[in-house]
Amino acid sequence: MTSPTRLESLRHAVPSDVERSPSGFGIDAVEPALAFSPDDRNEVAALLRAADEAGVVVVPQGGRTALSLGRPLQRYDVALETRGLQRIVEYVPDDLTLTVEAGIHLEALQQTLREHGQYLPIDPPPDDHVSIGGLLATARSGAWRGHLPAARDLLLGAVVASPTGQLESSGGRVVKNVTGYDMHRMHTGALGAFGVIVEASFKVAPLPPVTRTLAARADTIAEAGALAMRLWNASLAARAISILAPETAERIGLEASPTVLIELAGLEVSVDRSTQIIREANPRADEPAGTPWERLRRLHGDRVAAVVRFGVPSSDVIGAIEAARGAGCIAWGHIASGAVIGHAPSLDAASVQRLRAHATERGGFLQLESGSRGLRAAVDPFGPGEVDLVRSLKARFDARGTLNRGRWMEGV
Amino acid sequence: MPTTASPALIEALQRAVGSQHVLHAPEDLIAYEYDATIDRARPDAVLFPATAEQVAAVVRAANQYDVPVIPRGSGTGLSGGTVPVKGGVVVALTRMNRIVEVDAVNRVAVVEPGVVNLQLQEALAPLRLAWAPDPSSQRICTVGGNIANNSGGPHTLAHGSTVNHVLGLEVVVSDGRVINLGGRVLDAPGIDLRGLFVGSEGTLGIVTQATIRLVPAAPDVRTMLAIFDSVDEASAAVSAIIRNGVIPVALEMLDQEIIKLVEPRIHAGYPLDAGAVLLIEVEGLSEGVAVEADAVIEACRACGAREVRSADTQPARDKLWEGRKVGIGAIGAAAPAFYLLDGVVPRTKLPQVMRRVLELSAQYGFKCANIFHAGDGNLHPNIMFDPQEEGATQRVLDLGGEIMRLCVDVGGSITGEHGIGLEKRSYMEWVFSPPDLAAMERVRLAFGSADRFNPCKILPGGHGCATGHADELARHIAKPGVYI
Repeated sequence: MTSPTRLESLRHAVPSDVERSPSGFGIDAVEPALAFSPDDRNEVAALLRAADEAGVVVVPQGGRTALSLGRPLQRYDVALETRGLQRIVEYVPDDLTLTVEAGIHLEALQQTLREHGQYLPIDPPPDDHVSIGGLLATARSGAWRGHLPAARDLLLGAVVASPTGQLESSGGRVVKNVTGYDMHRMHTGALGAFGVIVEASFKVAPLPPVTRTLAARADTIAEAGALAMRLWNASLAARAISILAPETAERIGLEASPTVLIELAGLEVSVDRSTQIIREANPRADEPAGTPWERLRRLHGDRVAAVVRFGVPSSDVIGAIEAARGAGCIAWGHIASGAVIGHAPSLDAASVQRLRAHATERGGFLQLESGSRGLRAAVDPFGPGEVDLVRSLKARFDARGTLNRGRWMEGV
Repeated sequence: MPTTASPALIEALQRAVGSQHVLHAPEDLIAYEYDATIDRARPDAVLFPATAEQVAAVVRAANQYDVPVIPRGSGTGLSGGTVPVKGGVVVALTRMNRIVEVDAVNRVAVVEPGVVNLQLQEALAPLRLAWAPDPSSQRICTVGGNIANNSGGPHTLAHGSTVNHVLGLEVVVSDGRVINLGGRVLDAPGIDLRGLFVGSEGTLGIVTQATIRLVPAAPDVRTMLAIFDSVDEASAAVSAIIRNGVIPVALEMLDQEIIKLVEPRIHAGYPLDAGAVLLIEVEGLSEGVAVEADAVIEACRACGAREVRSADTQPARDKLWEGRKVGIGAIGAAAPAFYLLDGVVPRTKLPQVMRRVLELSAQYGFKCANIFHAGDGNLHPNIMFDPQEEGATQRVLDLGGEIMRLCVDVGGSITGEHGIGLEKRSYMEWVFSPPDLAAMERVRLAFGSADRFNPCKILPGGHGCATGHADELARHIAKPGVYI
């Protein structure tokens, strides 16, 4: 247990009005002793330094949408909410570059960009109510990935608050840059293991003038897979080509058939021509009612269910969908990225291991994106990886295990 | 001939890779003292491993004898990245040049680091696939070098730098282990050590195999040549094209100095009195290409283009591109030596920065030819000079420093694709604070590679490394016409 005096030093590190009630900051039914919502990066750095000196564990959090990604925390003393860091630092529409503080939500950022006919081309689960810091720390993507870059590829640079209270920059604000190590890439997807991202610069994109969703139904999942592959090779103006099992299609408001769901995006002539190509391949393709993409994203980001993400070669997407169905999941896959999502009310560790074996035998991987505390303790959410270097980095960037201790592995 | 390296080290290296694959006589080492820059330093030995196991054995031998290890591809680097400043063992990866596998269905290839970029492109072309990085040195540069430098090229505008196209890496790290980073599929879970490693300029380890992502050929491509009276107008057109919502796949500028050098050689029809031309490429479905091409032409005209030519057949497109491809060589033929700079500025700052680059060059009394990735704001001023002229080399380096400073002052960076290497170590402090640099140093320490792999590169300082750029090494011109 953490002694009250050790925690008291954190209170002295920042103005009293940034302290919050710890209730509402629970993770896996554990509440922290203290919670803070700093207003700026210097307060973040001051809190981290105080926590590091006091030997307590801090868990940074933004939109709180991905707290069931990773192993259960070894300890949880202090919640650090990044919501106060929500300024747009610099936006130059003509340069297609944007610099923001990390607590801003993707939705607010997209709103600003939309006013200038631009957007950050990324669709993470569960929706746009994710913080930019969380988006980067979790590095999650949706149906657009593969057609469009991942967050880490759009990130031009970042400022990170270290556990010792330093503010460290890498990269820059220009769209092409190889100056120094890409520290921001190390922090992207690191779940805050090495520091707290406080500012990020992005390359943004023009909004496509026209978007259109088409659903092409097939008789079997294999047929849907073949159609998806064919369309992927047809150079469509597409930003998503996804394969849905029948029960998945039904779950998001479509007819219960094996379905290829396509989102076209681009110039009107390109979208029209792409529509024509799709209809030539599948005369039954039509524009579905409802909001299938939003529903798919929310299923992927479901924090209550067990959710797995396979990464497999595109030609194995159908196999992974079938494997996930065999384990009781509803499942869907994205042909360009090879990501296959399986969603079930719950899964046991043996099932996750079997699905992981299916992926690794095909040169892929499986990440447990969400699951009960018990499941995340029983099975490594990330699978095998380079452990020695990760420990070595942790020892140099967060020697005392102040940040998110245990979320990757024992002590890390 | 006597050698400077210890006989015991040479024996250990010969055991590791076979004696016929180790060079250690001084006359054999000369060619490995430099890359495409003017800095030179002699290695103790150069060796040519054939497998990851051999590379690992070399690293273990280097650990035992405590000498640096410097990975090297074709030696086309433009920042002194492979110059063995502290001696040691140059590991030339040119024998590891197999294309291990091409999985066309999944758009993945597995290659060894010594595969030449263009050879890979030629193997992929019949499959209508490509490896996106296309640096100007692609006829000779290696995939391993592309990865080490996070290389770019004209098509980086659409496809991003090398790191976006690397799925997984097999690397030998400082303790001699062979480890795997990333995977065979996008977005492998775990800490992104792959992303950290790409662009680390041989300072963290040696790539022995790479799993790369391939891009498909577009169904239709249109290349345009827009002719302007001034660099100013051409720079303004770059912003105008992108502001209109068209991101071309390539958007390159050639200024008058370059046009005058290349046109007599290739007769591509670049007007000799033009102030600048833009080479602009759009691709996709034919219907969209036509609309985007019209938008590009309109933006160029609105910025004062006197003419925009368009090519949609392969031979016609190749002709327009030829001027870009032979440009650097043409400078080499026209001047005893030239300094090829690499800096990045926000696109909207291009007009003011280009004006200032030309002013500064004139002040220093040098001709400056510009041929560069305008769409990315990635400048490549080429300063032509005669190294035999008293003090010229130093003045060129000073001018280069001023141009880099200018890039930093407008919010840009000191390298977009050539890397920091040796050349720009001392400029790092213009961009990064001591805590920023300390964080980068911790990465090097975490990889256990601070003194083992490619010492005195990227980061300023370092044990036993000289501190300043100018006084770092005795500089020599390797041969007439070489880039520095």
